[in-house]
Amino acid sequence: MTESLDGNLQRILEQAKAAISAAEKPAELEEMRVRYLGKKGELTAQLKQIGSLPHEERPKFGDKVNQVKREVAELINLKKTALDAAELAAAIAAEEIDVTLPGRGIDSGGIHPVTRTMQRIEDIFIAMGFGVATGPEIEDDFHNFEALNIPPEHPARAMHDTFYVAADSDSADESYLLRTHTSPVQARYMLKQKPPINIIAPGRVYRCDSDVTHTPMFHQVEGLMVDEGISFADLKGVLTHFLQQFFETELKIRLRPSYFPFTEPSAEVDISCVFCTNDHGEAQGCRICKNTGWIEVLGSGMVHPEVFAKVGIDSEKYTGFAFGLGVERLTMLRYGVDDLRLFFDNDLTFLEQFK
Amino acid sequence: MIISEQWLRDWVRVDLNAQEIADCLTNAGLEVDAVESAGGSIEKLLVGKVLEVEKHPDADRLSVTKVDIGTEVLDIVCGASNVRIDLMVAVATVGAKLPNGLKIKKAKVRGVPSMGMLCSASELGLEEESDGLIELNADAEIGQRVDEYLKLDDNLIDIDLTPNRGDCLSVQGIARELKVLADGEYQEQQPQAIHASTQRSVEVELNDNVNCPRYLARVITDINASAKTPIWMQECLRRSGIRPISSVVDITNYVMLELGQPMHAFDLAKLSEKIIVRQSIDGEKIKLLDDSEAKLDAETLVIADAKGAIAIAGVMGGYDSAIGDDTQDIVLEAAHFTRASASGKARRYGLHTESSHRFERGVDPQLPPVAIERATELVLEICGGQAGQITEQKNAQGLATKPEVSIRLDRLKSLLGMELEGAEVDGILNRIADSVVREGDTWSVTPPSYRFDIEREADLVEEVARVKGYDNIPTAMPRIAPRSNAASESAVGLRQVRNSFVARDYREAITYSFIDADLHKLFSDEAPVKLANPLADNMAVMRTSLLPGLMSALQFNANRQHSRIRLFETGATYHKTEKGYVERQTVAGVVSGLQSPPQWGIEAAQKVDFFDVKADLAAVLSLTGQGNDITFSKANHLPMHPGQLARVSKQLDGQEFTLGYLGRLHPNIEKYFSVGQVFAFELDLDKSLSAKLPAFKTVSRFPNVKRDLSLLVDEAVPVSALLDSVRRSVGAALVKAEIFDLYKGEGVANGQKSVSLSVVLQHADATLTDEESEAIIERALLALGNDLGATLRV
Repeated sequence: MTESLDGNLQRILEQAKAAISAAEKPAELEEMRVRYLGKKGELTAQLKQIGSLPHEERPKFGDKVNQVKREVAELINLKKTALDAAELAAAIAAEEIDVTLPGRGIDSGGIHPVTRTMQRIEDIFIAMGFGVATGPEIEDDFHNFEALNIPPEHPARAMHDTFYVAADSDSADESYLLRTHTSPVQARYMLKQKPPINIIAPGRVYRCDSDVTHTPMFHQVEGLMVDEGISFADLKGVLTHFLQQFFETELKIRLRPSYFPFTEPSAEVDISCVFCTNDHGEAQGCRICKNTGWIEVLGSGMVHPEVFAKVGIDSEKYTGFAFGLGVERLTMLRYGVDDLRLFFDNDLTFLEQFK
Repeated sequence: MIISEQWLRDWVRVDLNAQEIADCLTNAGLEVDAVESAGGSIEKLLVGKVLEVEKHPDADRLSVTKVDIGTEVLDIVCGASNVRIDLMVAVATVGAKLPNGLKIKKAKVRGVPSMGMLCSASELGLEEESDGLIELNADAEIGQRVDEYLKLDDNLIDIDLTPNRGDCLSVQGIARELKVLADGEYQEQQPQAIHASTQRSVEVELNDNVNCPRYLARVITDINASAKTPIWMQECLRRSGIRPISSVVDITNYVMLELGQPMHAFDLAKLSEKIIVRQSIDGEKIKLLDDSEAKLDAETLVIADAKGAIAIAGVMGGYDSAIGDDTQDIVLEAAHFTRASASGKARRYGLHTESSHRFERGVDPQLPPVAIERATELVLEICGGQAGQITEQKNAQGLATKPEVSIRLDRLKSLLGMELEGAEVDGILNRIADSVVREGDTWSVTPPSYRFDIEREADLVEEVARVKGYDNIPTAMPRIAPRSNAASESAVGLRQVRNSFVARDYREAITYSFIDADLHKLFSDEAPVKLANPLADNMAVMRTSLLPGLMSALQFNANRQHSRIRLFETGATYHKTEKGYVERQTVAGVVSGLQSPPQWGIEAAQKVDFFDVKADLAAVLSLTGQGNDITFSKANHLPMHPGQLARVSKQLDGQEFTLGYLGRLHPNIEKYFSVGQVFAFELDLDKSLSAKLPAFKTVSRFPNVKRDLSLLVDEAVPVSALLDSVRRSVGAALVKAEIFDLYKGEGVANGQKSVSLSVVLQHADATLTDEESEAIIERALLALGNDLGATLRV
């Protein structure tokens, strides 16, 4: 009797093993769980026959049946995990995509390179503590010239090819013009604000000139700092810091005496050529710097006492410096753009190069 | 100004080579643009004398010459028209290499052997262009090296002078500068006073001694006006970029280049009675040396005779009194015209001359007596003749010496931000001026008569800094106080606006502020601000809208095979108002082509339409936190399609402000630019950017109820009216009401449309019961029916 019961158990176990191993779907395993381990399952049926055994054999037989049940349950679980994994793997394999296909929807656009440069210039000066001021582009003669120590018929006016606004027939227009530089913002700001002053003034300016190296409209950033004890050395320090930040390199700067009616002393500022200076700071000479190793980038100087007088600031008490830089020029140097006129064609092929 | 290194060295001895001189000048503010060789040494280029000239047997324009070069006589074929017997020429013999790279070889020219070449000035690198052979003077020695004879071992220093340094527009001026900068040994060259050998003189009537405080004239009689200008003088002129013309003119130009004093010479015989210096008469005409006729205004200083103007003072002489080859007696003029009288004249008459250039910048008032002696000396030497007495008229007050300027050591140090010793400053000031008085640490400087630019302490500060060298000034960093006016949170920054458009695939453009007047009219009926002197017709008026410029940019790209174009710009528009000129900061955009670039795997992309652009604009405006206060309503606006256009407005403090317009461009404009449909917007930035700070509302923890309503309503009812009605009738429980479908066609009666709304309801502090939400929806439907005739679609 015991023998046959044991034999049955062994047979059931072998059958279950074979069936589980052969199962291909999780559903088949579920059937097997019912068939072997369910309330009406074969192993449960075996357990029910325990009553036909002698008392002393019952615990041993019970243990045996339970052991086989555990073994079958474990086999089913193992097989289930394996089948699930295989099924997932198959699903994943079926869902594979070509990730090199382009994404859908829109791309991002871009800001104009001149704006980009203007924003960088602003950021550097704002970080130094400068504020941003603005002024009108249709200016009067006083702010554009007179207040800046450029009286009528001054030879410097010849260098500013000025656009004038047509006088109105019905009103006696004073002489209005398109500002030729951002310097009038200096005058306007000083007329309103007492020192200490530290501002930059970015914006559009206009000159009646158009050729390969001139466009009738371009952008400048004016800078002005006025306080007690501001010196030429401070001007050098601020401009050196700015230019090194802008070009992100420890470039050298050189100041050369120059002439602007609204500054004295005045200086042109050159930077060591950003195209041909090697790692040791030696200029190799190139087309851009005309083999001089220097590139002129901006004009500057100490605010002229006559300008202070026009705006009512005591030039004995206060001193200051001013500078003006060309945004297009810095943009061309920074990105190697070789034709000024590209900036205002707004050719997408050009604009798309600036993200 | 270009000057010759050799000429300069006649005036100043400095221990610097040409490049070092250039660097020294550049570092002191006299920017040297270039240093170029005047020709340099040219081997095998010899002085020759033409012995014979015969026509080439096979070429009309060629001559076959025999040229004596001392050691032999060469057969040379020549094409120049001025070749003639006895002419002294520059002969490039076989093996010579000319500055333009040409190497001379034995050659046969149309069958005739040629053993060299006769050279023009341009072939020697002396001129850009030449007409014929360079004619050497009789003093050249046959067989002498031409480079030695012409002193070609010279450099040309091209200096770009700033307008304040008129005193440097001469060899003398640059020499003085090198004395100051490099402590050079200055070789002052005072010409001898020449005694009169004729009684002839000319009367000078100085009617305007304010604009002309000094006028000197001298008659020189019996000159040979056709005498040849010596080659050394021709070379000096040529190297400074002035073409030799005739001996007397060349002499006046030479003196101008040497000393800085512009001069003029008249033919005495053509002068009526006397010289009168006066203001012009309005409408007065004068025929000038360049053959042009100028019509004068009433404010131009002229030199006249009894009959009329014979020169525009300091600008250009007249044709009728000019020196000719047959002139016998001349009047030399050396005058001082003030900067005030000279300025603007060249520009007014379109006559920018070497003379006007100098007088505008200021010429040393002490120079005329020196210059007239120097010119006389040269005329007598080159053209012969008898010099008369100098006639001088002057206004001593107008020539008063310049006032003293003082400079303080402590001011100098604080302005430059550097330490300086009094002794060093003293040394520098004494090199600049002859009259320097030191009292303690203050100096009183009387600037030399030629230094117009030194008027105040700051000018002397620059002088000291410049001589000391800007490189020697230290670098410091000023202390800057923190600012209190950082950007307010109540306004959206311009950068945020730009970045939002960029994120929505717009590219920023920058277009000109001035546009074509006709183009302007297409977009606006506002009277624009006009330019008095536009560069071109298509840049004649200031834009009142950014759209014309953006459309031109769109068209530019459409013509270059771009089909999907999305551009925006921020900037000013310009308006003439009763209060004067007003500039409005504006943002505008133009969009054409597909909604998105062509995509794989989905239906073909749609063409962009009004609502795509509206979404872009709404998204950017929502940055202000006032999205709910922005309304889009039907409107009229000239440049836009009357049926596809909305006014964009905003509620601010209970008032409604128009921000701008959004719409399809008017078909007329699309046609004008030959482009397809373009959607555009333009908003006033200042009004648009005011922002609300975020205001916190309790986040409800209770579930919301979402109800969809499909409504039938008359086609003409705007969807915004449906939403407004729902907002009003539902009240506080409304979380949001949105349109999710619009349908016209089968199943919907003609003239009607079906609009599907999604309504979300929620209480902040309690659960919304079914009964409540049913009641709210009932209320909403009732209102929709009463207000707008909308019914629930079943």
